Amino acid sequence: MHLFRSEEHVLHWSGYRHEARDGLLSLAQVRTIFATRRFSERLSGTYVSRLATYRGEFLATLAAVTAGSPFWAPEPPS
Amino acid sequence: MTEPSVLDRAYHFILRTFVETGRAPRSEALAAALGLEAEAGRALLHALMAQDILSWLHPGTDEIAAFAPFHTQPTPYRISVRGEQRWFAQCGFETLAVSWLFPGATVTIDAPCRDCGEPLRLDMQDGRILAADPPEMVAFVDVPFRQWHLRQAES
Repeated sequence: MHLFRSEEHVLHWSGYRHEARDGLLSLAQVRTIFATRRFSERLSGTYVSRLATYRGEFLATLAAVTAGSPFWAPEPPS
Repeated sequence: MTEPSVLDRAYHFILRTFVETGRAPRSEALAAALGLEAEAGRALLHALMAQDILSWLHPGTDEIAAFAPFHTQPTPYRISVRGEQRWFAQCGFETLAVSWLFPGATVTIDAPCRDCGEPLRLDMQDGRILAADPPEMVAFVDVPFRQWHLRQAES
């Protein structure tokens, strides 16, 4: 889970694997994912109690931002 | 309105301690803050870490290693608030969640590019990106999302 100067730097990186190409996201995509309540409500005094209620929004946003890529699916493709 | 549970109170105490000091509290401090005996504080810490909060202990200890979005050890992801660099993020992705913990403040993230080592800088406030240098900056993870928890358990 790293940051790079550009997409070209990701492709050049020795750790890059083409099978993981959908793991490359723009900053705007990551920002959108990390703006869901799972992350934005951490200072709430009832965060742990409410955590399960944040899961649906998080997974829906993740799927939308990554265009339903299996790489970002919570379960393996059936 | 939901009343805070003991897990909520423990989580909030640990996160607030990180925000205010850049460090993780010991289980003894957690116990004292919640009015518990030391052993009960230790058990509570382990129970909290078993929740889906992207956090973990150093293996075989009661010491917090990472408490999302923070890490107790220096990482490449340095966080500064109001010009003070006191925090480290647990990974590049979680850096984009840090600004929620400092409402109204500009949070600066400094890191090296994982490929070339050249500097990257992000300024954020309340979840918004104020500036990115370079603007073409991207994020990459090579582990499928469904395996993230497995990878954390190995950390």
